[in-house]
Amino acid sequence: VNAALRTLPLARVYLIAGLLAIGLYFLLPWNSFSQELLYDAIGACSAVVVVLGARINRPNQLLPWYLFGAGLLAFSAGDVVFNLYAEVWHKDPPVPSVADVFYLAGYPFLAAGLVVLVLRMRRRDRWVGCLDAALVTVAFALCQWVFVMRGVAKGSGSLVDRAVALSYPTMDIVLLAALAFFALTPAWRTAAYRYLALSIVVMLFADELYAVSPDSYAGTSWLDAAWMGSYILWAAAALSPSMRALSERAPSATPGLTRSRVLVLGAALGTAPAVLVAEQAVGRGVDAEAVAIGATILSALVLARLGGIVHTLDRLRERERVARAEAELAHGRVAEQNEQLREADRLKDEFVALISHDLRTPLTSIMGYLELTLGDEDLSDDQRRYLEIVDRNADRLLRLVNDLLFVARLEAGQLELHQSELDLAAIARQSVIEAEPRATAKGIALTCRAGDAAAVRADKGRMFQLLDNLVSNAIKFTPEGGDIEVSVGRVNGSVQLEVVDTGIGIDAKEQQQLFERFFRTSTAAQRQIPGTGLGLYIARAIVDAHGGSISVDSEPGRGTSFRIDLPLTAETVTA
Amino acid sequence: VNGGSLVVVADDEDDILELVTTIIERAGHRVVPVRDGAAALAAVRERRPDLVVLDISMPKVDGLEVLRLLRSDDETSELPVLLLSARAQEDDVRLGFATGASAYVKKPFSPGELSRRVDDLLAPAAQSDL
Repeated sequence: VNAALRTLPLARVYLIAGLLAIGLYFLLPWNSFSQELLYDAIGACSAVVVVLGARINRPNQLLPWYLFGAGLLAFSAGDVVFNLYAEVWHKDPPVPSVADVFYLAGYPFLAAGLVVLVLRMRRRDRWVGCLDAALVTVAFALCQWVFVMRGVAKGSGSLVDRAVALSYPTMDIVLLAALAFFALTPAWRTAAYRYLALSIVVMLFADELYAVSPDSYAGTSWLDAAWMGSYILWAAAALSPSMRALSERAPSATPGLTRSRVLVLGAALGTAPAVLVAEQAVGRGVDAEAVAIGATILSALVLARLGGIVHTLDRLRERERVARAEAELAHGRVAEQNEQLREADRLKDEFVALISHDLRTPLTSIMGYLELTLGDEDLSDDQRRYLEIVDRNADRLLRLVNDLLFVARLEAGQLELHQSELDLAAIARQSVIEAEPRATAKGIALTCRAGDAAAVRADKGRMFQLLDNLVSNAIKFTPEGGDIEVSVGRVNGSVQLEVVDTGIGIDAKEQQQLFERFFRTSTAAQRQIPGTGLGLYIARAIVDAHGGSISVDSEPGRGTSFRIDLPLTAETVTA
Repeated sequence: VNGGSLVVVADDEDDILELVTTIIERAGHRVVPVRDGAAALAAVRERRPDLVVLDISMPKVDGLEVLRLLRSDDETSELPVLLLSARAQEDDVRLGFATGASAYVKKPFSPGELSRRVDDLLAPAAQSDL
């Protein structure tokens, strides 16, 4: 039910109904019983609606709204009693009357409700709100004393009369203090907030007018509209769903001086002189003590407020200084880490070079003695086969060591090329002849299509290494019965070398990473095809060093083709 | 009877020293195996070999230093020297030849290849013996 009610514009409906009721009030015969009944009904109804609104909207805190309900109910009870004297008992209410008790009891409830709302806020925000509220309150109290209360206090009448008369403006000060505290503390400026603030302002306005000349407003008057309007606005605030935000923490205001804060401080400081000038202008005696006391308190409060701002700014500056120092420290740490990473990289390269060298020595023994043993004609077929497996693996190990060493030198920027005029076609033919036994052993047809001479300026050893890498890869990744073709030809001023196989192929998304160091395709890893992920990295490094380019074209299951373009030398172009 | 040529082989790795010795002996030559550079120099002075096979990384005096000393001595400046090393980079090979090596074989090597290179280096000496 609550959820359904929350979707209705209850606040606006109540506001409009209330305004219509106020209109009706002034249409009824003035000072009639029906008029007084309507007045009491509006008050009582609003008190009940405040509590109902809180139950419908379910804010974090219900207490403030119950306090508001209690305050309004007390006012309403005061109104009823007041009217009972006039209509039922037909006599003027005594001083103090039961009505006064109810009226005066209402203010603390309302003020307490506002204070409870504010207590939700952060302590720092509360402290600032408290100081600002004190400023406004003291300034207001000074005016209240000088223009309203002093006259009553020093006037005629019994002590009780005067005490009761003084208690109303005092309660107004209390309510204004609470309002200022509430309004000057960071809170959500929602519709409910505006209704609530307007309600209190209207109530204080009516109270003040009444206090200045009670006799003019004793019976029905236009001022009644303000009090009734205040009740209705209060109820509308409780009905507005935005009232829930008043119990939530609002973002803290900026610590510096906003324009409204400066205005508050300036107005507070100007109050005492303004009161003096006003007293002079009206021609009343100057109340020097009150003005002096008020001015002193106000100055002290302004000083405290400014001190708080300076303190906050200092703290912010300190925080900024710490943050800056931390940032600098972090920066330094990053630089240090970078240096360490570079050092680690250098050590790694040195390490690889050292290891490669040290691995060669045991490999020399293994491979040397193996060849001596394989030369023995008395070996059985099995023994020979086993030793050939050892030989093949020793060969693989040596290849790996060579690759690692090559990469280490490459990354240390030590790759040197000893370039000369070469016929790439001849190198391709030679490489194919050397790889043929391995292809044949696997049942793969390895062919070479390299007819015309294709002259390039290149490092012979590196070209053999490049071809060996590509052809070995093709043999490794092509299943039995497949084909591999190596071709060399001239295409537009460059020499094009192609190695095409009918192997397992490479996934499209892995093709981009293919030339990265230590990259292995997922298929190669899954099928446990041996390799280090260095072959193509080295191939690209060699091609790059020769000013050429390497590219791959592949389809999983269909095969792979590697294409290398190297610049054709001038002689060949003219030839 | 000419028991083949005399070869001084220097390597600090026992296994490799034995391997090289075996290969050269199987080729029909006599070998004086030593384990460091100083011993190699002493053996050359004492035995007057026809060929020296030197590892580069050796304790006391390394292979390159031995080669340098041999080349600076008139009596051994023409003596064939084969460097046998795990230092396989082109720079290393170039440095070896610049220091005066007659041949450079990278480790790991094939026994057949080593045997051929040794024979190549000994051929002129064998002829002069005739």
